[in-house]
Amino acid sequence: MNAAPVREASLVIGLGQPDRGDDAVGPVVAARIRELAGDGVEVLTREDPTALVQAWDGYRIVVLVDSILSGADPGSLTVRHAGTAAEPLPTHAFTAAGRGGSHAFGVAGAVELSRTLGTLPEQLAIVGIEAETFDHGPMSDAVVACVDDAVATVIATLAHAIGELRDTEAGSCA
Amino acid sequence: MTHQLKDGGQVLNVGMLARVEGEGGMHIEIKDRQVVDVKLNIFEPPRFYEGFLRGRKYTEPPDITARICGICPVAYQSASTEAMETICGIVTTPQIQLMRRLLYCGEWIESHALHIFMLHAPDFLGYESVLEMAKTYPDVVKMALRLKKAGNDLMELVGGRAIHPVNVKVGGFYRMPTVAELEALRPDLERGVEDALAAVELVAGFDFPEMEQDYTYVSLRHPDWYPLERGAEVVASNGVRFPVAEIPQHIEEFHVEHSNALHARFDGGIYFVGPLARYSNCFDQLSPRCQEAALRAGLGETCRNPFKSIIVRTVELAYAFEAAVRIIDEWRDGRSPSVPVAPRAGEGVGASEAPRGTIWHRYRIDADGVIEDAQIVPPTSQNQASIEADLRLAAQQWVDLDDHMLTHRCEEAIRNYDPCISCATHFLDLRVKRS
Repeated sequence: MNAAPVREASLVIGLGQPDRGDDAVGPVVAARIRELAGDGVEVLTREDPTALVQAWDGYRIVVLVDSILSGADPGSLTVRHAGTAAEPLPTHAFTAAGRGGSHAFGVAGAVELSRTLGTLPEQLAIVGIEAETFDHGPMSDAVVACVDDAVATVIATLAHAIGELRDTEAGSCA
Repeated sequence: MTHQLKDGGQVLNVGMLARVEGEGGMHIEIKDRQVVDVKLNIFEPPRFYEGFLRGRKYTEPPDITARICGICPVAYQSASTEAMETICGIVTTPQIQLMRRLLYCGEWIESHALHIFMLHAPDFLGYESVLEMAKTYPDVVKMALRLKKAGNDLMELVGGRAIHPVNVKVGGFYRMPTVAELEALRPDLERGVEDALAAVELVAGFDFPEMEQDYTYVSLRHPDWYPLERGAEVVASNGVRFPVAEIPQHIEEFHVEHSNALHARFDGGIYFVGPLARYSNCFDQLSPRCQEAALRAGLGETCRNPFKSIIVRTVELAYAFEAAVRIIDEWRDGRSPSVPVAPRAGEGVGASEAPRGTIWHRYRIDADGVIEDAQIVPPTSQNQASIEADLRLAAQQWVDLDDHMLTHRCEEAIRNYDPCISCATHFLDLRVKRS
């Protein structure tokens, strides 16, 4: 199979189910980015992590926005770099995901499967937003309150990734 | 992990059955090299869907029951809409049926591609997971993801969402896709036909254990096409056939102590629903290309080796792509998305062919359309006894293997069914007791 053509635009993906509490925050932030972004930034939403492997194929810069559950305070933001130059995500996470069927296939599984298949973006940043609830219904107050910060973090992360890629290319040209 | 028992027996615990949808438990007891007991333990607490449907409006089951499963929501939507329309005396238009079939093709493509390549193929190629398999077979995994994406795209366009579609209602759809929107999907679907047919050859080359069972195959059957979104009647490989409305007279649910999912009997006996049943009961309704591919793959017009279900499932994957392309060929703009459905008191049954087998719903509603009673019977529940029968045969056939190998073989026997255990359970813990 041929590799996807390289895309000039950067990509922001909001991952999550819109009707499961704070899981909606990925798509909500993505919608805000869509309103703000210029021509060089494409935005999409996905509910199924297995779709990520193809969704980001061909993009060099991708920011993934997703809810996380790490034990931090709800609404806290975390940025983790997982592109081609980054360390693989924890082995136990994706091994468990691969063995556990699609129910357990998460972002780590998608990242590591993409790394194996050669479709992982050079610059992939995961903006994680600490969730409070995944029950049916609206997002929690704490997560609603952090959406502006999350949007700003995505934009800053995107700008940083674009700058890094330019620096790398300038360096390689020199 | 193996435990020695005081009576000299052994219990082997395996934390989780890998690569199935959901989790459950299993117990195998062996005495003097004879398998004496097999139990598939489904111990997730009941989810009470049937209970909380009572008192809801007759229009609500397509949205509520779709939430039972993220892999096969369309199966629930199709069965519930058919049941309600039957009760209300409504026959929808052929165009609405066509669009329902197209949506169902999307679900089959998504589900079959996922199970064949991501969950089942690693068994035959000797890998623990698709992540390991991808290192040696990257092109196969890329093809699988491409096929699955084509299914996702179809679900998203016709159903409004790739998971838990929201465009389905009693009487039809809220919106019909346009020809232009459907045509945009055509290249990927046409490529999917060729990819899936090539994949039939690929999986036919796997090594299959010799094991056959004399199953009673039960499936829907439709006079005009291979059964997906509905059937005109139920057919069984023992020659029994009857209208969908009579399903409750032939299939009886009952409780067993070791499972929170109800077992089922067909005319008092064990039966089998799923791709092998559909294929064996309806081979003549597959397209010529799919029939040829199946025969070239070494299948007969029936298949009784459960390990070869991966071939049958791949033939069905090709069929779903073909069917989707044919529907797009026929589609025209301007068709009404739904017909009005006014409530009337009564009881009715709806059934469809979920990727893993026949699913049926029965409802009783009052004159205002309020649901008085609901019964939902998914395929994995119906297959529990058949899975146990396979486990008994597999464990006996390979009783001399060490615990690790026996465990692996038994897991494979379960994966043959592509069980959606999460429709009924959440954990599978394998226990082999030897004495």
